[in-house]
Amino acid sequence: MKITFTINNKEKTVEVSPHQRLLDVIRKELGLTAAKEGCGKGECGACTVLLNGEPVASCLVLAPQADGAEILTVEGLLSEEGDIHPLQQAFLDAGAVQCGFCIPGTIMTSYRLLQEKANPERQEIREALAGNICRCTGYQKIIDAVELAAEKWQAGGEVQ
Amino acid sequence: MMKNSRQNASNRQENFGENSKKGQKEPEQVLGQNVPIGSADYLAPESLNKALEYRSRYGYKAVVIAGGTDIMVDYFEKLPEVTSWLDLTKISALKNIEITREEIIIGSLVTHLEIARNEELKKYLPLLAAASSEVGSWQIQSRGTIGGNIVTSSPAGDTLAPLLAYQARFVLASTEGEREVAAEEFFVGPKDNIMEPQELLTKIIIPHPPENTISRWWKVGKRKAMIISSLTMALLLEVNKNDRIQSARAAYGAVAPTPLRLESLEEYLTDKDLQEVELKKAGNLAEEAISPISDIRGTEEYRRQVTRDITIEALREMQQR
Amino acid sequence: MSKKYIGKAVKKVDAQAKVNGEAEYTEDLINEFSDLLHMRVLRAPHPHAYLKDIDISEALEVPGVVAVFTKADFPKLSEFGLIIKDQPVLVGKGEKMRFLGDAIALVVAENDAAALRGREKIKLDIEELEIVEDPLQAMEKGCIQIHEDHDIEVTHYLNKDMCCDNILSDNYIDRGDVEKGFAEADHIIEREYKTQFVEQLPLQVEKGIADYDNENEEIIIWAASQWIHDTQADIAQAMGVPKEKIRLKQPVIGGAFGKKEDISVHIHLALAARELKRPVVLLYNREESMIAQSKRHPQIIKHKTGVTREGKLTAWETEMIMDTGAYASSGPAVVRNAMFHCSGPYQVENVRAVCYAVYTNNTYCGAMRGFGATQMGFSYDNHMDVIATELDFDPFEFRLKNAFAIGSKTPGGEELNHGVNVKETIEAVHEASNWQEGDKDD
Repeated sequence: MKITFTINNKEKTVEVSPHQRLLDVIRKELGLTAAKEGCGKGECGACTVLLNGEPVASCLVLAPQADGAEILTVEGLLSEEGDIHPLQQAFLDAGAVQCGFCIPGTIMTSYRLLQEKANPERQEIREALAGNICRCTGYQKIIDAVELAAEKWQAGGEVQ
Repeated sequence: MMKNSRQNASNRQENFGENSKKGQKEPEQVLGQNVPIGSADYLAPESLNKALEYRSRYGYKAVVIAGGTDIMVDYFEKLPEVTSWLDLTKISALKNIEITREEIIIGSLVTHLEIARNEELKKYLPLLAAASSEVGSWQIQSRGTIGGNIVTSSPAGDTLAPLLAYQARFVLASTEGEREVAAEEFFVGPKDNIMEPQELLTKIIIPHPPENTISRWWKVGKRKAMIISSLTMALLLEVNKNDRIQSARAAYGAVAPTPLRLESLEEYLTDKDLQEVELKKAGNLAEEAISPISDIRGTEEYRRQVTRDITIEALREMQQR
Repeated sequence: MSKKYIGKAVKKVDAQAKVNGEAEYTEDLINEFSDLLHMRVLRAPHPHAYLKDIDISEALEVPGVVAVFTKADFPKLSEFGLIIKDQPVLVGKGEKMRFLGDAIALVVAENDAAALRGREKIKLDIEELEIVEDPLQAMEKGCIQIHEDHDIEVTHYLNKDMCCDNILSDNYIDRGDVEKGFAEADHIIEREYKTQFVEQLPLQVEKGIADYDNENEEIIIWAASQWIHDTQADIAQAMGVPKEKIRLKQPVIGGAFGKKEDISVHIHLALAARELKRPVVLLYNREESMIAQSKRHPQIIKHKTGVTREGKLTAWETEMIMDTGAYASSGPAVVRNAMFHCSGPYQVENVRAVCYAVYTNNTYCGAMRGFGATQMGFSYDNHMDVIATELDFDPFEFRLKNAFAIGSKTPGGEELNHGVNVKETIEAVHEASNWQEGDKDD
């Protein structure tokens, strides 16, 4: 069956099987491999993308359910020139990246959080990221990164 | 011997996801081993009537999916074996929250996130809003629906104790018509309910709690997020100006095969001065009224002790409010 | 050391690729292969059983299934393992499965769904044996032996009345004179501590792709490893091919924490790619990773400690029993490392420790952050608190009195000559914790 959706501001029509998951379509059919599969059961958050503006575990979305949707992945945060987004830069500057497997998902949830709340408290960041599991950094630096990104956005204009 | 061992082997593979109990009652009718891979029917009606038609035609043979946060886990690695899907997410009629003078009516497809963030629900149904805000994670709340939580009927389902405490009624529709059942009548066992294969849950109807209602929600789990509850509690007291408890509703989850109201505790609290409630006695009544099991989320002893403790703590907080 | 880096925040060289999604983890390479086959592994249906028969005929009939490999296809396979080669690549007919992660058959198909269907169709006939669930059971007289061919000569420190058939390795320390130390003590305090299995849970599970280079007769494997050269050598010896015929390409690892020291997908993929002359991918799921790959060792630790009235440690005796699971993995090294930490960073003249790793039918245990020292740390510092509480010492003062200093000797007999900062650490913790003398835990 064919489905059509907008991903990273581009409209795509893809031939999918009813049993495919949105994560499979994004990774295999579209070749956008930033979103990762860590558990396949919505526990770890590595596959987080924004679906119609909200973070979802794309391993729990059946591909046909994304028909007509708007999707944003980490690849979509890059500028047209390929420059990384201030939020991504903050993850670099704060030293929040180790093995990196959780990072694309964590960035997408953080991105949504900062859209909603320009200046979140540390506790609010923790709560927002509760569904993004990291096994390396112990979370402190990830929270630092989101705080740092918030400061930058406050100073340098709003979230795109 | 051969047959027996074969069963062992296949069971082992299925049990790789130990906690993913079957969401459907008769999964063998759903999974078709010999269907060519990728050839399943995908039904995604926009109208409720069409969905009910499909439901009466397919029954258990079509897997019903909404937010997918339970179903996709149940069918992990078995997705290619599903022969038919009935996707409800395009039915906008089931996505409304309606507040009338007497009742609050929530469509079965309303997500946990919508409930958690709805200002009116936070005001009228704080237990439900709080429970919804603690389901899984942001990612789960933005997909998972209240209807799904009810239909999955896990004794640990987070919204179920609040729905029992609020005396919710569920509207079950089929091509034959509608029927309304009380939340308490709906659940009959772990992951089991009275729904028929041709029915869909369409609405949750909750009478407005009286204005002088005070309430406490408690979720106990091994971590704060992404956890299936070890225990939930929704305690709701209607208290008059003189601090007399006019009615009490105490609902608990994950302490019995179904979410449960504790009548003995409710009876004890009713018609009592809130300040004169003996906390220990209330805690003991709660502990005695439940029938928990021991599992990976807690032993029976643990569940009894925690039930007692949080009951006492919640009542103490209410006394000191 | 270079002043360029020490004390400075250094940016990880690969962090940028990881924040913009370009970093290539194993599964991200899939799109680069056009004719990729998918593998699923049938694992043991019982943790301790003989495989009497296996029937793959129905599996081979599933549309899309290309091959089902069993031990019979590779009669010359050798066992593998990090320290002791005791783990079978595939359990063959007449052989024993020793835990639920043992591989019995490899199903290879044109797509994953067909591989899954094929796996469901394999029929096994097994003879179930008694399951050895914990190391104490494994050491009871008359307990069934898990590795029949395993022969161990235990040291004289072990109790001769117990069954040693399932002991993988034992180690001991005997420094000073423990009996004399206990005689000098005013108090002797004995306690037992237990730790549990811990899953390392790297966010990327074990995944791999293998391909066969016909021209050079080389097997190329893309899969993460923490010991890439050891992994290469172990694959080669298990398959009976020269090392240079195995080429490992390391994608981005995605977390490991010890779990990826052991062989996982590697040999299974290599065999299939060589037989089929096509690239093959094997992606564990999370449950499979938990069942089939290593854990942190659970330990049962007994400490018996002599202390003077003034709070000086005079003797320390430790017995530690470690559940190493079905296979050795890093067990022999972990048990030694744990032992050398038995009395922690505290000076004791007289130390005796006996530590042993014991086979069971649990998932095998291997490396995880701390490598045995973590479990021991949990026990000795709890033990120090127990002593302080029982004898009414201030826990900080008690620790400071006994902490390592320059010139101290470790239980293993090493003299510490520089960089000893235990006291400074304890003092810093004291300050950070706002501990007041007379504070109690309860």
